[in-house]
Amino acid sequence: MITVETQPWSVMVDHAQATYPNECCGAMLGSIDGDVKTVRLALPLDNAYEGAQRERYELRPEDLLFAEREARKNGMDLIGIFHSHPDCDAYFSKTDLENSCPWYSFIVLSIQQGKFHHANSWLPNMEQTEAAKEELTHPNA
Amino acid sequence: MPKILIPTPLRQFADKKDSVDVAGATVGEALAALTTAHPDLKKNLFTDEGKLRSFVNVYVNDEDIRFLEKDKTAVAGGDTISIVPSIAGGAR
Repeated sequence: MITVETQPWSVMVDHAQATYPNECCGAMLGSIDGDVKTVRLALPLDNAYEGAQRERYELRPEDLLFAEREARKNGMDLIGIFHSHPDCDAYFSKTDLENSCPWYSFIVLSIQQGKFHHANSWLPNMEQTEAAKEELTHPNA
Repeated sequence: MPKILIPTPLRQFADKKDSVDVAGATVGEALAALTTAHPDLKKNLFTDEGKLRSFVNVYVNDEDIRFLEKDKTAVAGGDTISIVPSIAGGAR
């Protein structure tokens, strides 16, 4: 399961609402204790997709390298990625799956009419063929 | 020896180490040394055909090896190799 603390949750929701109607993206840093992941810091990152950002996002690898370095600097781990689905539910789409990485939790925030609506966390498999829903707790849950 | 930084989710396959010093004069040799020492890492990084998985990027210090000499990129002591995923997606 994954838990997002209040401060990083605010950062994630604010970023998702501020970039509406486009998709946002970012990195989640924190700690892992057995099967329990805790997000303590959220880093909003640029959506680098060169096209319609209303329905696509892309993270620059160098931004993820930065996130990984920030995690090490702060004694934390890079444990997940977040992005938004403007005016769509928080499912894990075929596009999400085919461009995912099985090492991380993927939190999707549904933003409806510019406001946070709901969120889900997903764990894609190695072959990028399916994603399991991960139990998610956050301050708005 | 070059140092390879291990992403958090992969440390379980590398004796929980966050970095591993490996022998090797190129990135390819260094990654081979890493997966020889820690065989469980191999399926996370490489396909059955031995190619880097599509979501795996490799950096030497701040440079993506795709823009250098790929797996033939030279490395030496003091160099840091990072494994960085490719991530994108979208609602449709």
